[in-house]
Amino acid sequence: MKFLAVCQSGLGSSFMVQMNIQQILKDENVDADIDVSHSDVGSTSGDSADYFFVESTLGDVLGNVPAEKLILLKSLIDKDEIKEHVNTILDKEDIEHS
Amino acid sequence: MLTDLLTSNTIQINEGSDLSWEDAIRLSAKPLESSGFINQSYVDEMVSIVKSKGPYFNIGPEIALAHARPEAGANKISLSLLKTDHEISLVDETHPIKLWFVLSATDNNSHLELIQELMTLLMDKQKVQQMCDSKSVEELKSIVNV
Repeated sequence: MKFLAVCQSGLGSSFMVQMNIQQILKDENVDADIDVSHSDVGSTSGDSADYFFVESTLGDVLGNVPAEKLILLKSLIDKDEIKEHVNTILDKEDIEHS
Repeated sequence: MLTDLLTSNTIQINEGSDLSWEDAIRLSAKPLESSGFINQSYVDEMVSIVKSKGPYFNIGPEIALAHARPEAGANKISLSLLKTDHEISLVDETHPIKLWFVLSATDNNSHLELIQELMTLLMDKQKVQQMCDSKSVEELKSIVNV
């Protein structure tokens, strides 16, 4: 499974989200093979990943990503918000976590 | 790395009530431009990105991390911070900002360590609050410098 954090330039904010997701997966003791990376809007398409994490104002730009794969974040540095989304996905995908 | 880049030279405080979001970004970027770390084209690009794409670099409450692609005119990894005493709306009032960071990087990877340090700082809600409330550059420096 692949999670992709996306931002406009693929330079800063998407990497922040990536690090947050990785830390959360570690905290949740997830053993499953989940690849987490980051990218910019321009080089992202609907099949680039299984789930896409993006700052909420950029949601429209990723129009080619199906809504159920798109996670819109209000804050990129609020670990609690990201954790809630990650756990929802883990539950939905039947992936074991603590 | 954070403390090497955020210095008395690159940290500023402004009262802020007369500034637009564009003024705030340009003011925050000024020391980086004067030192030759970024070109004016880089500053113009950051402003134009907001105008065309919206306020996406509002990365958390009260915080903007303005940046553009390296090829827009970044000569060096650099970071600046402008703290405004008043909130300024980034495009609209749903994005009020007091901490205006400007970041430049010269490629996709060299600044990742910096981003990591910056995120650790900004995820600390107490420190962000202290930064928003701080009254002097020295005070801001000491909050960053821990």
